[in-house]
Amino acid sequence: MPASSSDDYLLHVRDLILHFSTRRGIVRAVDGVSFSVRRGETLAIVGESGSGKSSTALGIVRILPRNVARYTGSIVFDGMELMRMDEEEFRRKVRIGGISMVFQGAMNSLNPVLRVGFQVAESLIVNLRVPKQEALRRAEEALELVGLNRSVAQRYPHELSGGMKQRALIAMALITNPKLVILDEPTSALDVMTQANIMNLLKRLKRDLGLTYIFITHDLALASELADRVAVMYGGRIAELGPADEVYPRPRHPYTKLLIESVPFLRYDRPPTFIPGSPPDLIEPPSGCRFHPRCPYFMKGKCDVQEPPLFRADGEHWASCWLLEEGRDA
Amino acid sequence: MPEGPLVRTEDLRVYFPVRKLFRTVGYVRAVDGVSLSIGRNETVALVGESGSGKTTFGRALLGLVRPTSGRILFDGTDIASMSEKELKRVRRRMGIVFQDPYASLNPTFTVYRIVEEPLVVNRIGTKEERREMVMRALEEVKLNPPEFFASKYPHMLSGGQRQRVAIARAIITRPEFVVADEPVSMLDASIRVEILLLFREIQRRHGVSFLYITHDLATAKYFSDRIAIMYAGKVVEEGPTRAVLSEPLHPYTQALIEAIPDPDPMNRFKMREVVPGQPPSLLNPPSGCRFHPRCPYFMKGKCDVQEPPLYDLGGGRKVACYLLEDRAAGS
Repeated sequence: MPASSSDDYLLHVRDLILHFSTRRGIVRAVDGVSFSVRRGETLAIVGESGSGKSSTALGIVRILPRNVARYTGSIVFDGMELMRMDEEEFRRKVRIGGISMVFQGAMNSLNPVLRVGFQVAESLIVNLRVPKQEALRRAEEALELVGLNRSVAQRYPHELSGGMKQRALIAMALITNPKLVILDEPTSALDVMTQANIMNLLKRLKRDLGLTYIFITHDLALASELADRVAVMYGGRIAELGPADEVYPRPRHPYTKLLIESVPFLRYDRPPTFIPGSPPDLIEPPSGCRFHPRCPYFMKGKCDVQEPPLFRADGEHWASCWLLEEGRDA
Repeated sequence: MPEGPLVRTEDLRVYFPVRKLFRTVGYVRAVDGVSLSIGRNETVALVGESGSGKTTFGRALLGLVRPTSGRILFDGTDIASMSEKELKRVRRRMGIVFQDPYASLNPTFTVYRIVEEPLVVNRIGTKEERREMVMRALEEVKLNPPEFFASKYPHMLSGGQRQRVAIARAIITRPEFVVADEPVSMLDASIRVEILLLFREIQRRHGVSFLYITHDLATAKYFSDRIAIMYAGKVVEEGPTRAVLSEPLHPYTQALIEAIPDPDPMNRFKMREVVPGQPPSLLNPPSGCRFHPRCPYFMKGKCDVQEPPLYDLGGGRKVACYLLEDRAAGS
């Protein structure tokens, strides 16, 4: 464990802004996002496509496309300010043994012509100069850790099922002993049963290894499989942030409330409803609160004029909605 | 109004030959003896994992793949044995909506041309009549104002809007039967319900029968009248949707339900019970019941020897499992 482990928090993100320039204009994908992650906890970032959840993750691990227009804010990871690091320092301190990422689309992210074991071991060999035999042995251990047979190391990706490939990717992410694992839709494109198996694996790893996760998903039900806390994103900003035990039963932002109501429950009878309108254009986002054109509680002259800050609902539960302003009853 | 279901299959089988050089070395038994009916004005959800044969079944109903054996009765006539020319006439009464609205619309066509095309192909109406029909169809799928959307190209639309275009194309010939193959699985959660409600509205207005193919039991629960669960090319359970989901009888249906989470923060403290193993290869499926190698209630000498029939339990419920043998005999 590093020196700074006395700190409860592993990650602080403050005012993260990530804009992209396109032919149509500047896309404000992440537009002032702040949150923290404690050691050993899971923060789920939930939102629809275009809400900025994946871009937030890419901003943290600094995997940026070429068309970045603005990339500012503060990211303090394990006591280190990442925004001040150069590429080499970032590689040494963050990419190796710091933050690992498991991407969506497990099917296509493995190299088809290399054996799985080598791909899992690669970052040890290349980055940490671990001797090849030793690295391959540790890759086999990592494969075992994620519930695969050691012999999978000798196989090629096409010989593996989707679920096995996803496990191999998780092994790859874990082999450097990262302090934080970012999971970006790790079960999309997998079948229901395989998805349940992978979620069980992630739960077990969290429990046994004390892993810290940021879990990015559009699926509120899936998020509840891992999340200790939930951040709901809308239009490049955080609409609501709080403990899962609070946000699910008592959502405080109208968007979160409507999002939960749009989920068809299997075990209760409650016909799902939908949110009228469409997500905001991030090139020209609505004035004021970005949800105001779709919000049933829209207050003219307020919500469309001024952007609401994050108000404390109670304890650790925050929502960016004027309904929570002091003296107003939500 | 004629009697009986609009679509009915009898012991339908669709096998795909596997060739090595010039020899057929085996068959992928994608659909292997499915008897299912879809009533008029009814939505049947066909639920299964990938590779269960649900898409192939849907395509067979539209005459897009030829069955190996069995019958497909559409409004009383068998389309399995029809010539391509006869099929074309029947197909006018059918429609299909595909899963991926990014791949199913021609990117070089305007929305107008995409939606008009079924009319042109089937030589329906004059140019002016067709224009009228296209605009009405766009209005019906709530692409308003229709003139605005008609001139757009697919890349200018969101996923939800594209899927609406695909629906407009499917319904413009006023089909009696529409196969919707995973029509919302590529869409965001908040849009899914909106699109599924649109299907229901179209059904109410025009009396369309739907086969809703999906892997998602939760949407099937709210948007179907009856449900059929498919596993490895066979229907293992069938019945009124609510009844099947509140009291699932086949071990596979039970396992499927157990695997799906509802939003509940308590989930994070529980491991989900998942049956071991993988769906079998359709090239060489297990003997007896195809679920037996994974089944927690496996009875040796029975389940692995003989295939269980689809027992009729009354009340529209059917289950292909020996555990229900007694109950079936009693009813």
